[in-house]
Amino acid sequence: MKAQVTHFLKNLVNIKGKNKGLVLYLDDQCAYADLLTELKAKVSDPALDSDTEVTVHLNKRYCTENQIQELSAVVQTNPHLKVVATTSDILTVEESDQMIRERQSETYVGIVRSGQVIKAEGDLVVIGDVNPNGRVEAGGSVYVLGRLKGAAHAGTKGNRDAVIAASWLEATQLKIDDELETMTDELSSLSEQPEMECAYLHTNGTIIIDRLQELRFIRPQISTFKGGS
Amino acid sequence: MGEAIVITSGKGGVGKTTTTANLGTALALQGKKVCLIDTDIGLRNLDVILGLENRIIYDLIDVLEGRCKVHQALVKDKRFEDMLYLLPAAQTADKNDVNPEQMKELVTELKKDYDFVIIDCPAGIEQGYKNAVVGADHAIVVTTPEISAVRDADRIIGLLELEENIDAPRLIINRIRPHLMKAGEALDVNEITTHLSIDLLGIIADDERVISSSNKGEPIVMDPSNAAALGYRNIARRLLGESVPLMSMEKAPPSLFTKIKAVFTK
Repeated sequence: MKAQVTHFLKNLVNIKGKNKGLVLYLDDQCAYADLLTELKAKVSDPALDSDTEVTVHLNKRYCTENQIQELSAVVQTNPHLKVVATTSDILTVEESDQMIRERQSETYVGIVRSGQVIKAEGDLVVIGDVNPNGRVEAGGSVYVLGRLKGAAHAGTKGNRDAVIAASWLEATQLKIDDELETMTDELSSLSEQPEMECAYLHTNGTIIIDRLQELRFIRPQISTFKGGS
Repeated sequence: MGEAIVITSGKGGVGKTTTTANLGTALALQGKKVCLIDTDIGLRNLDVILGLENRIIYDLIDVLEGRCKVHQALVKDKRFEDMLYLLPAAQTADKNDVNPEQMKELVTELKKDYDFVIIDCPAGIEQGYKNAVVGADHAIVVTTPEISAVRDADRIIGLLELEENIDAPRLIINRIRPHLMKAGEALDVNEITTHLSIDLLGIIADDERVISSSNKGEPIVMDPSNAAALGYRNIARRLLGESVPLMSMEKAPPSLFTKIKAVFTK
């Protein structure tokens, strides 16, 4: 009995109201089993009787996918609570590396020929031509210093701000996130000289082609350059 | 130790076999000892173009499977003394009956005795292609001024660039029709070379005589007055390290009308 009392004193689960829902802050130093016990007790509080969206915050505890599901299930034993998100202050080394890769720019020097596919997790810079039936894909943006005559896919993992820019934009297909544009005669006739152009995703979900110089107004966030004089 | 050159294109029917026969013959005419290998197993025809069909006794598969020695299978072209030999493909097997290791060994063996080993590659990028390129030191890509042929050439160049033992492939543009090119109806030489961005080894004019001479089993290159023959001879000289300028495609003799017109405009 005494032990249980001390648990409550440590207060392993803190509930705070935020905007429309609740955030459950879970202690990250106690044993996982203790955490479950207290969480169960806290959510079965009869005061929680209106439908609420809940975010579970794990602080600095690393939980596996199964544990996260278990915690959510415990919260949802109260039929009024619905877990909408799980947040945490920590990353695994793998996740961190992945994020670094997605922020990096990779450079390919050479010609992407028919049948070849070049992929990058972050931005991709191709120095050379992309020939018809060649393909370049990037999690970020695609920049081609040369003639883009094949297919290009930017923002493969859902980055809708990604752009495709080329010294000579004569692609057969452009894709940003999951919006595809086949370069029909109509579209290419808009630019007789497809020199120094970029393609971006308009808010209405269509791919727009514009002069490369406009990029600084359309996507100012692409610039990572800090300082300077 | 000679060098091995593979002649390839990706697309069929652009003139790989004709190019192999003519380049081989041109090099033999220049006094080099040449061995041609037909790797189009199951669909051989290099022997027909060279007019050596009747003299085939053993073939490539017989050699690889040890049923005969290499020199027994080689067919000598008697027109060129001791300079030109053909190792014919088998007609009764298929491309999967050969593996790249065997081919590599065979080509290395032949390079010891010949100045040039020229390998005629089958169309496609499958097993037959792999067998043909494995032993080569150099590659020549043949294309025609058609978009489909250029696309396939691009693909094959991409594959060749991945082969570590082959140096940068070089290009032959075959079947050029000057009037179409001038009118902008066909891709022009510059367009093709910038698109593929590899070195141009030579251009060959489209000529009906190439077909008729192939049918007779006499490579066109033996006729020194022919434009296509000249193209092949120039390529052979470039392979031997000479620098030969690209020949002009507008070499057609002036017609009577233009001659008369010239008199009056003077």
